[in-house]
Amino acid sequence: MTSSSASRKAKIEAATPKGRAGGNGANRAVVAAVVVVVVIAAVITAVVLGRSDKQQATTAGGSSLPKGASAMGAGILVNPGAPTTVPTLDLYEDFQCPICAEFEHRFGADIVSLADKNQVRLVVHTLSFLDDNLRNDSSIRAANGAACAADQGKFLPYHSANFGGQPLKEGAGYTDADLRSFAQKAGITGAALQSWQQCYDTKAHNRYVVSVQTQSEKDGVNGTPTLKLDGKTLDLNGFTAESLAAQVKAATK
Amino acid sequence: MAVLPDPRHRDVVGLVARLLLGGVVLLAGLLKVGHLETSARAVRAYQLLPYDLAGVIGYGLPILEVALGLLLVLGLFTRVSAFVSGVLMVVFIAGIASAWARGLSIDCGCFGKGGTIAAAQTQYPQEIARDIGLLLCAAWLTKRPTTALALERLLFPAGYEERVHA
Repeated sequence: MTSSSASRKAKIEAATPKGRAGGNGANRAVVAAVVVVVVIAAVITAVVLGRSDKQQATTAGGSSLPKGASAMGAGILVNPGAPTTVPTLDLYEDFQCPICAEFEHRFGADIVSLADKNQVRLVVHTLSFLDDNLRNDSSIRAANGAACAADQGKFLPYHSANFGGQPLKEGAGYTDADLRSFAQKAGITGAALQSWQQCYDTKAHNRYVVSVQTQSEKDGVNGTPTLKLDGKTLDLNGFTAESLAAQVKAATK
Repeated sequence: MAVLPDPRHRDVVGLVARLLLGGVVLLAGLLKVGHLETSARAVRAYQLLPYDLAGVIGYGLPILEVALGLLLVLGLFTRVSAFVSGVLMVVFIAGIASAWARGLSIDCGCFGKGGTIAAAQTQYPQEIARDIGLLLCAAWLTKRPTTALALERLLFPAGYEERVHA
């Protein structure tokens, strides 16, 4: 390397702007701008899509309230004959939730008996959040089936049949025929079964079902099963039929 | 950095930090990105943000994590990506600690799922320890973003040389 070529090289280096790419590199600023724009666009797209998906679910199907539900977002009051002096027991469940099925298996009869004896006002909220997790629509269809069963005065029997028929593998889901068989097991037959089927096929209560899910989120229910006694969440750690009965008794005026 | 006098050794440490931080952040994003409603629910379970804002964070965060994770794994804009990831880790640690302190029983929802779980299943110390480890990776890379096998080394050789010899 001669001294003249060395000085030329130094001149070229001095002329190259610092902090920018050299002759054989990409332009850092341009690449950075592209990356930033792509990332921001992707985040905004996700937020907009997520919100519009939710909007669509909210407006699909019919908007009639099932029997026992006093308003959009409210659960189904199973025993409207109960006096107002007894505490309200709110039960939040998703028909695809395995722990809910186990809970029903162990305590379902005790809770139904409390309702039958009008010792609590039993309000059941059928949730559908597991659909997103399990990538199917079985929870929302099952909740629709339960709402249609409520119209036939068979909410609890349907509820019990549906949990009894939960597939062993979480996420296997329910076919429409499965849900119809739960309605039949619940004692819905003849003309009543036809009404149930029509209600189910038209998804007459779908917007109600979605509203129950949304309301539960706003009420801070982030898992199932959740039990609330007069609005206070019960600890399911060491939960027994006796501990429930004791708490119900303590809350009765 | 007297322990590692050779900058090439520090570049390798940087590579490990980049792959650890980037790999975990990328995985966390990918596991959530197809379940945005669940992700929103996981954010709501912390009971820190209003309903709608929690939804926006839940929908947007997984994509941001995928982007940051990809940049870190590739080694592109390492300093900025590591800094933003570090800020996220601080937020995550604060959120988990707050849930723990308030006696909530939730899954952190870091890798999908999330929501209320049984008290015995909570893993707050492990979750916080993991995020502190990742925060350390982010701190290293923010302080010294030159790493081995980085895409930016290939794309922007001029700028890279300057920083290495600075």
